[in-house]
Amino acid sequence: MAQLLLIREQIKSIYSRYEAFIVPALKFLLALIAMLFINDNVGYAERLSGAAVTVLVSLFCSFLPLNFIVILCAAFILLHLYALSLEAVLVVGAMVFLMFLLYYRFAPKDTVLLLLTPILFAMKIPYVIPLSAGLMGTPASIVSVGCGVVIYYALSYVSSIAPVLAASDSEGIFERIRMLIDAIIQNKELLMVIVAFSATILMVYLIRRLPVDHSWTIAIITGTLMNILIILIGDLKYNTYISIGSLIFGSIVSVLVSIVLKFFVFNVDYGRTERVQFEDDEYYYYVKAVPKNTVAIPNKKVKKIKGQSGDLQRSGSISHTSRRSRSESDVPEYHMRRSATKGSQSEEPPVTSRSKGNKNGTKRIILPEEEVKDMDLAEQSRAIRRVDGSGMTGIERAAAAKARQDREERRRHEQ
Amino acid sequence: MLNESRIKLMTKMAVYEEREGRKSMSIGTYFRGDYIGKEVIKSIIYATVAYLIIIGVYVCYDFQILVQDIYRMDLVQFGIKILKDYLKLVVSYSIVTYIYYAMRYQSARRSLRSYYNNLRRLNSMYRKEEAETK
Repeated sequence: MAQLLLIREQIKSIYSRYEAFIVPALKFLLALIAMLFINDNVGYAERLSGAAVTVLVSLFCSFLPLNFIVILCAAFILLHLYALSLEAVLVVGAMVFLMFLLYYRFAPKDTVLLLLTPILFAMKIPYVIPLSAGLMGTPASIVSVGCGVVIYYALSYVSSIAPVLAASDSEGIFERIRMLIDAIIQNKELLMVIVAFSATILMVYLIRRLPVDHSWTIAIITGTLMNILIILIGDLKYNTYISIGSLIFGSIVSVLVSIVLKFFVFNVDYGRTERVQFEDDEYYYYVKAVPKNTVAIPNKKVKKIKGQSGDLQRSGSISHTSRRSRSESDVPEYHMRRSATKGSQSEEPPVTSRSKGNKNGTKRIILPEEEVKDMDLAEQSRAIRRVDGSGMTGIERAAAAKARQDREERRRHEQ
Repeated sequence: MLNESRIKLMTKMAVYEEREGRKSMSIGTYFRGDYIGKEVIKSIIYATVAYLIIIGVYVCYDFQILVQDIYRMDLVQFGIKILKDYLKLVVSYSIVTYIYYAMRYQSARRSLRSYYNNLRRLNSMYRKEEAETK
């Protein structure tokens, strides 16, 4: 666990240091995945689905706000559908336009869910979405997730009846529009998934806010079970023929992803480095404010030196170290902070010289291993003690001083 | 002279100005009624456009039935029904808008109040420094 916390701290520090590069890279990745999903599902306009266009648009997206990426993806979907049929553009366009018009002026930050929901559906792990939306969002995320689900099912349906739509039958325009709308409105699976996701988001949100221990973990597990239950009930009622194997497997993967998410999001502040400029009457200020790290990260490597002699391993200093590390292992953060100190201690140069001075003026006698091997335990203990230039330890020095004082007093009495 | 606590305060304020301060400051230029009224009017326009789209999709969906029944149906009743639905949509959407933007105005005023308090503190720091140099 301590190791994981350490990794999280390192990620935090890397993020705050290179945030200017990491955020565009993540945006690029997201846009690339979204564009690939669009090309895969509705890539009817060949000019737009080329690799060069996809990469260029994704690169362009890396410098845009997330909302623009969503709008750009919507525009691409409509352009692809235009290459297929006008009816599909009208129906999907009306849907997307209504979503932007009525909902996204209230919750512009939620647009990323609209983008992620169809992508995760395509990756066969859609159950991550209600869990993560409940863990990190608010109940208002239900609308975004619902819109994302509708978009995914609409695009899936369009791609499944693409040959019918592509047939140029000018008389059947209204029939085809009716067919598309019916397919969206009367799709029981779509309805079931929206109900399941909405209930899961609400449940996860309510549980994770409870003032109990492990509320996030309880929320993840309860939400997953509830999601499975609703989908199974819906499947029994509407005969949607959902694959139970993929439901269970997808749910397990979603739980794992949510646990990882919880680890990286729960109680973690990815504070960003701020660069601000301001001025007063006397100065211009160019300030770089770096967020403080709460846990010290040991930068030094801990090097373990194994003693060849069994007697040497029983020496006091070694047993003290092991006792300390055992008692601190229950408190990971404290352990990490101390391990930095330990690391720096153990990074002393290897035992090569015969004696080495320190700031107190004492010397540590360091003997070659061949000499140590032949000594008994008492001799070894004495050999590794700190001694001054005269070869005495602190206690011996004090005892000698005391004896010298006594001798002088005795001499004074005799006189 | 560089004053560390003053620079810290100024940095905090500059960060605020760059982030949520921008929106809060633009909201702070309005009176409460003006701001919420502006947003409600915007919402009415959006709801009208959305309703027109819904009507358009409905017409496309039921086009053949509408064409067949256009002479037999009571157009006045049909118009009243459409108008009622429109009013329902606009009123409910406006209520949601009112509540949402009233809360937003309140939170913006709150954050601006703390920003102005910081400004006052900064001003007093400058005065103290001036008095010390004299």
